[in-house]
Amino acid sequence: MTDDDLAMPPFAPPPLGAELETELGGIKPVAMRKPLRQLAVLLGASLIYGAGMIALLSTRPDMSELPVMWMVGGAIAWALGFMVPLYLAVMPVEGSMMPRRRLAAGAAITAAVLFVVMGMLIHPSGPSSLQYGTERFLHGHPCLELGLATALVPVILGAVFLRGALPVGARWIAAALGAGGGSLGGLVLHFHCRITDPMHTGLIHGGVVTVAALLAALLVPRATDVR
Amino acid sequence: MADPKELMARYCDGDASAFRELYAAVSPRLYGYLVKMSRSRALADDLLQQTFLKVHRARAAYVRGADPLPWIYSIAHRTFIDEVRKGKRAKVNVGDGDDLPEIAADIGGNALDATDEPRVDSELLASTLDALAGLPEQQREAVVLTKLEGKSVAEAAEIAGTSVGAMKVRAHRGYEALRKLLGGRTKEKAA
Repeated sequence: MTDDDLAMPPFAPPPLGAELETELGGIKPVAMRKPLRQLAVLLGASLIYGAGMIALLSTRPDMSELPVMWMVGGAIAWALGFMVPLYLAVMPVEGSMMPRRRLAAGAAITAAVLFVVMGMLIHPSGPSSLQYGTERFLHGHPCLELGLATALVPVILGAVFLRGALPVGARWIAAALGAGGGSLGGLVLHFHCRITDPMHTGLIHGGVVTVAALLAALLVPRATDVR
Repeated sequence: MADPKELMARYCDGDASAFRELYAAVSPRLYGYLVKMSRSRALADDLLQQTFLKVHRARAAYVRGADPLPWIYSIAHRTFIDEVRKGKRAKVNVGDGDDLPEIAADIGGNALDATDEPRVDSELLASTLDALAGLPEQQREAVVLTKLEGKSVAEAAEIAGTSVGAMKVRAHRGYEALRKLLGGRTKEKAA
């Protein structure tokens, strides 16, 4: 058997159906997707929202007691965790209209794992910091809720922008949106929360990324799908 | 054939005739893909209409200057998968000759409407379609896209939402399985 053996004559397709004809009768111009502009709006609106959250909640009282390098390095890491997955989820390769789902998936998984591990390993504290430990671990749940609330804006905006653009691989792109949003939540917590034990910073602050990515992967494809 | 990118852009700008041109340009191959996947012309008709309805409703997702074909094929792929999952009509219908593509032929058995197309042995065509139906869904899709639709492995992977490596494996396994199936049938006939 060769490829030529498999060559088949073209099939004659049916004419346009009545429903399509009806929809075409009322056709109107639509604004095409502009990924770069969408990315700028997504990042800008999310950052403003995140900054608003910090302003509303107040900054952590132990901030001046912590190493500057750690505060700055942590903020950069969270910011990268926020921007890179969102960039990969929204921006397609030149000439294509579908986002880079494999890279986006990789970024989502990396962020989801990395922030948990980093939070467990690196967690400096000062005299004003709090330690919940394993006994009061569950008392830290407001941080998870706050982080997820912060993730809402990038996830919802991303879902709106990508509506119809993800016939396949929607879950991975959604996970990237969730990971990006969760990282913004982590950034807000980095400046707000003074609980510094490894369980809290790893499993709750880092866990925001994981939970947001999972929830987005579960829910967002329903919103981006066109029926 | 007009450039699908240009047609898609005109269509998004509100030009219905551009959509008709796009349909005329894309639907023969897309329909062929759906017939080969679903093994039913009636189902493929329905899937094609659903695919283009989705294209129409999601046209705002188009990025000017981008190639819309992988996206349209992905919508067709997803529509087919959804239909299979529904489990309503997407059954493999191997023995029903009514659903096999009919090729008009002259008295000598030569296809009348395919003089410019590669000559196809109608028995081999029927056997191939039957054998395709015997493949697992993912392997069938890989063979249809890479061997019958002429897509590259990367394009097929993008359409199916999988990795290039996975698509290569599926296509290879599917092709080998198809070769065995067709070889077996040829031997049966010879016997």
